Amino acid sequence: MAELTGNIAVIGYGLAAVGPGIGVGMVVGKTIESMARQPELAGRLQVTMFLGIAFTEALALIGLAAGFIFV
Amino acid sequence: MRANNLEQLFKQVAKYSLLLVAVIAVVGGLVGFLVAGGNGLISALIGALVAFLFSILTIASVFVGSKLSITGFYAVVLGGWLIKIVLFGIVLVLLRGQPFIDGGVLFATVVVTILGTLAVDSFAALRARIPVVDEN
Repeated sequence: MAELTGNIAVIGYGLAAVGPGIGVGMVVGKTIESMARQPELAGRLQVTMFLGIAFTEALALIGLAAGFIFV
Repeated sequence: MRANNLEQLFKQVAKYSLLLVAVIAVVGGLVGFLVAGGNGLISALIGALVAFLFSILTIASVFVGSKLSITGFYAVVLGGWLIKIVLFGIVLVLLRGQPFIDGGVLFATVVVTILGTLAVDSFAALRARIPVVDEN
């Protein structure tokens, strides 16, 4: 079996990026879909989208910062 | 004051976030100092500053992007997000293992600042009176 070297925290960083990446993709994709359906709502949708992105990326930042205490 | 458009919302969020981070920096710095001495104080200040910068960059990208076309908007918002995560990773790599960093205090201030700015963002956005129909 091949020898593995490195730090398991790297996998943690990867996971911390994957989840929010999917989340932000969905938020933005759905906003684009909504704006295509009702372009006149663009301003309101952008504010709602901003909230969605802010909440999703909080997970990414906390996940990345977790390396400081769990490793 | 309720925000009537995206520009007002941005200014409001920036103002309240700055106030919040100032409070967290003072309180966190004090707690960090009591818990881990000088290193705790420095870690708390760095944690609050980094988390604030990354939170405020999100709404700044939405604000700048809203002045562009739809394509430009998503390029700025998503490109900004990508660059931000990469930068955050680099900052963490640089900070890890530094003798003046106390991991626990830094993590705690980052989490508190992120949650605090989220609360400010939500509060300002929920109170905002963005017109349903765009004036343009």
